[in-house]
Amino acid sequence: MYANAAIIGVGQSAYTRRPEPGQSTVTFIRDAVVAALKDAAIDARDIDGLAVASFSLAPDAAVDLAWKLGLSLRWLIQDTNGGSSAMNMLGHALRGVEAGAASAILVVGGDATGLGGYAKVAANFNTVTQLHLAPLGHGGPNGVYALVTSRQMKKYGLAKSDYGQLAIAQRAWAAHNPFAVYRTPMTMDEYLAAPLVADPLSRYDCVPVVAGAQAIIVAHPDRSPRGRTGVRVRAHRASFNYDNQEGDGLATGISTFASELWQEAGVRPDDIEVASIYDDYPTMVLAQLNDLGMIAGNDLQRFARHAIGERRFPLNTWGGMLSAGQPGGPAGGLNGISEAVLQLQHRAGGRQAKDARLAVATGYGMTMYRYGGTAAAAVLERVE
Amino acid sequence: MNRGVGIWRCVKCGAGFFPQRLLCARCHGDAFAPDRMYEAAVEEVSVIRHMLGQTDWQPRRLASVRTSDGQRITVGLTDASQPGTTIELFEDGTAPFGKGKS
Repeated sequence: MYANAAIIGVGQSAYTRRPEPGQSTVTFIRDAVVAALKDAAIDARDIDGLAVASFSLAPDAAVDLAWKLGLSLRWLIQDTNGGSSAMNMLGHALRGVEAGAASAILVVGGDATGLGGYAKVAANFNTVTQLHLAPLGHGGPNGVYALVTSRQMKKYGLAKSDYGQLAIAQRAWAAHNPFAVYRTPMTMDEYLAAPLVADPLSRYDCVPVVAGAQAIIVAHPDRSPRGRTGVRVRAHRASFNYDNQEGDGLATGISTFASELWQEAGVRPDDIEVASIYDDYPTMVLAQLNDLGMIAGNDLQRFARHAIGERRFPLNTWGGMLSAGQPGGPAGGLNGISEAVLQLQHRAGGRQAKDARLAVATGYGMTMYRYGGTAAAAVLERVE
Repeated sequence: MNRGVGIWRCVKCGAGFFPQRLLCARCHGDAFAPDRMYEAAVEEVSVIRHMLGQTDWQPRRLASVRTSDGQRITVGLTDASQPGTTIELFEDGTAPFGKGKS
């Protein structure tokens, strides 16, 4: 339980599939930072910690960003854990504030690689990818998760339409998110008719790459804007290289800490009222929910068809990255955290989950070879 | 083209790895001897039909396979081999490939 550190503000830039001339990773980051500072009602001069993650910040590093933002700091990190960077940075920031290493930490992620730039990132993700996957024409993460998806379908008896339930439900949520790049409702016929990208994954199973950035601010809860309901992090856990890439990828690193997470949070999986689950692919949403113990009887098919298909459970209510867009993994993960905060503060507008008091958010990423090797999660609570 | 796919076998405990490691994931031994795997069972197959940033992409087949020694490797398939079949492994540079047994 983090009693002396909380998320006091959230903000994001515009998201776009194709950045305009003059727009770059750092301009999107700037826009997200300005929005988060405004939301937290905090002056930039009060920020004394910075955490940043980006695939396209180089050759700049975190301190260069601090310089460009005019921030003089006593706490600074740069995270390189892709889709779990956001959750990882949140954990570091909470502990940094709790320990007194900093009093107000800006956590930001953003990317503006463009589609061609993202293809280069995907082909050069690590040395193993360069040596053993890219020469095959593996299609980046789409090819990797196509194989994982086939495995999951076989193990759990899932049909293609079961993944469609997630994509369609998230698209319906996205209709209420002005920042989402895809907001037009989608039918199952449209989902099933979409062209295959990497069998069995089709267009709407693959997260759309966008340019954009997201930021949050972590500080003592007393620094929350006057009159705003607080959000406390009840528990946070992370896992790195949990199985040396020797499993089937259908269990994530979350499986190594889920019981500890719930125990520390003092709540059960079925107490959760809204969830932000890292959704680069619907396959991995189901895998993470299963690891969290949120799918009764490990019945993924029933969960997809009833809990999601019948809109019984609010999942990825900003549209998820599948509809809102993925501005690189780091900012994508911050989207889920920010949405959980907005939901718990009852500030989510047309996508508000009724009376939400408890949320879970996850991060998952770093496709090292056969699947992702990093994962993290937090349980968040509305404080009346 | 080289017949088989190179793996790295821990000198201390005999566990075989692909890709290469620095320490053995089983016993943390630091010495490896090269070995080769020549056959694998196909577990899952995909066809990569679209590649970001490419406009004239020709579909390619990709498979997750399990070698006779247990390593799970992602290979390019050069034929129509399906899950459940056994393939021969070969390397093109550092890239592992497979095709149905002749």
